[in-house]
Amino acid sequence: MADAETEAAQGEQPEEPRAGGRVQAVVAGAIPVLLGAVAAWLSFGLNIGSLTEPGPGLWPLIVAGLLVASGIGIIAVTAKTRRDTEAFTRGTVAVLAAAGGLAVYASLYEIVGFEVPTVLLLFAWLRFLSRESWLMSAILAVAVTAVAYVLFIIGLNVPLPHLIAF
Amino acid sequence: MDFSSVLSGFAVAFEWQNILFCLLGVTVGMLIGVLPGLGPAATIAILLPITYNLEPTAAVIMLAGIFYGAQYGGTITSVLLKLPGEASTVVTALDGHALARRGEAGPALGIAAIASFIGGTASIILLSFIAPALAGVALAFGPAEYTILALIGIFLVGTLGNGSVIKSAAAAAAGLLLATVGLDPLLGTPRFTFGTDQLADGIDFTIVAMGLFGVGEILYNLEHRNRPQAAVPSFGRAIPGRLHWLKSRLAILRGSVTGFVLGILPGGGATMASLVAYAVEKRTAKDPSRFGKGAIEGVAGPESANNAAATSSFIPLLTLGIPANATMAVLFGALMLQGITPGPGLMSDHPDVFWGVVNSMYLGNLLLLILSIPLIGLFVRMLKVRPGILAPITVVITMIGTYSIRNNAFDMLLVIGLGLLGYGMRKLGFEPGPFVLAFVLGSLLEASFRRSMRIFGGDVTEFVQQPVSGTLVAILVLTVVVVPLLRRVRTRQTANAEEEGVRAD
Repeated sequence: MADAETEAAQGEQPEEPRAGGRVQAVVAGAIPVLLGAVAAWLSFGLNIGSLTEPGPGLWPLIVAGLLVASGIGIIAVTAKTRRDTEAFTRGTVAVLAAAGGLAVYASLYEIVGFEVPTVLLLFAWLRFLSRESWLMSAILAVAVTAVAYVLFIIGLNVPLPHLIAF
Repeated sequence: MDFSSVLSGFAVAFEWQNILFCLLGVTVGMLIGVLPGLGPAATIAILLPITYNLEPTAAVIMLAGIFYGAQYGGTITSVLLKLPGEASTVVTALDGHALARRGEAGPALGIAAIASFIGGTASIILLSFIAPALAGVALAFGPAEYTILALIGIFLVGTLGNGSVIKSAAAAAAGLLLATVGLDPLLGTPRFTFGTDQLADGIDFTIVAMGLFGVGEILYNLEHRNRPQAAVPSFGRAIPGRLHWLKSRLAILRGSVTGFVLGILPGGGATMASLVAYAVEKRTAKDPSRFGKGAIEGVAGPESANNAAATSSFIPLLTLGIPANATMAVLFGALMLQGITPGPGLMSDHPDVFWGVVNSMYLGNLLLLILSIPLIGLFVRMLKVRPGILAPITVVITMIGTYSIRNNAFDMLLVIGLGLLGYGMRKLGFEPGPFVLAFVLGSLLEASFRRSMRIFGGDVTEFVQQPVSGTLVAILVLTVVVVPLLRRVRTRQTANAEEEGVRAD
């Protein structure tokens, strides 16, 4: 159980995630403000209409206003507390890697079928993100893909693009 | 109440395939309740595409089973490991784990199972009487009433959740904005589609739920994947003694009532109910100092309350069409997928679905009681499966499910993008719950608002002047006053609980 040892070695990390700093607190408020501003600008491009005859742009404009207002509120409130965000850690890299890997997986799906990308995704995730052994990762990757094939394609008749046909 | 449809509901619930799906649902629910990480909302979201081909009643029976089953499962790890599987069982860990360390894990788990069963069952009975009355009132609702009702729902979920109120408001607004992508509901003008056909029909609810809850939670857990695993203490049979039962029967009764009432409140739900029930038990106890050191009432009260609340939180969804919490929002999506609109018409238009699902819960609770006592050992062994192995498997199932919705790889990219959004929201302190709920209610809210504005000739004050919508506005105002009070009670309670947890260690 080499994994248990690595886990124990890293077990010194605090259980509770660290709180993010002031910059992160301001960013948390700035994002809704920006999003609201862009949405408001786009809403004016649609037709606003009037309260009596609302156009397609009126509702998005109201929602955009709410976004901007709450964003400003967040900046005002969290400048004092600063404790309700979580700091990004080294683990964030793993999260981005996982999302990137998934995006590649999704793009390969319609080109080469689901079998090969699924085996590769499972293997990479198990070996590099979950730090299972090479052998364990390989066996699980192939086995889970096979079970998924039987369950979804043969059992549930899901029309997944696949190479192997019976 | 129309008794013949209640009875035929029993006939539906006891069809063999529905019994099977009920069993499947509660087992899956218990399992994910035991495993920390994926919650019921995420699990139901991930399983949504699989339910496409099922019959509506069977699908909802199974998904509902996952939801209340998770309340049973979460207790097991709370008591044995002090690692609550679900937020609603956090408070159970205090006295439950103290009992386990005294070697009374078996009786604690037994009482928890019985309390859960009684709480759940009592809540179904109350639901059967209250839901028809509420639906009857709601049948008269027009666009103005629905506007206010949707606002109350979003407001309560935003404010009774765990995050800060202002951040929940921002998350809800972002959800409302995402809901406007696609064609205008009344005029058909494309909005925010950025010229692609892929977005012309709007974003499917399943994709939002799978992305934010499913992929989002997996990515979030990936960052904290190095948590050490705890050793499982041994325990005897999960059967409580006579003394435990005598001590906890009143607590179960009080917990059931507290849970039922708080469960109906949007946003209240099981977590709130368990915390309040714990506070009630501590207050009514002759010797409050026993709490935190292994008082069985501290297990019985919250456990009956969280199950009662889980059941009664179906009421707003099934009678008003307003989901009361994140999981109900996903179930709302599940019903819509099946071509059934949840709301006051549900009971009269689809009595078989309504009563079939409600009555299946009796069976589900009974199955959980029977399953939980012999199977606790087995479920605990499941804890030894490393989360690092479960995560990639869950991701693959999510991806296959996403693809199967429209046979479209673009949807997979959307789910991944929304997953990253969910991760980012968690890191920045935003709750995904209000976002998803607002997304679900977005088109209803917009369409009702615009219809009301036309009816009212652009006069916003009409919302207050109309008798029914005016009453609802009054309720909205009342909740604005009451909610901060409830939040304060809860904050104090959680602080106390944590303090005691530290002392007990």
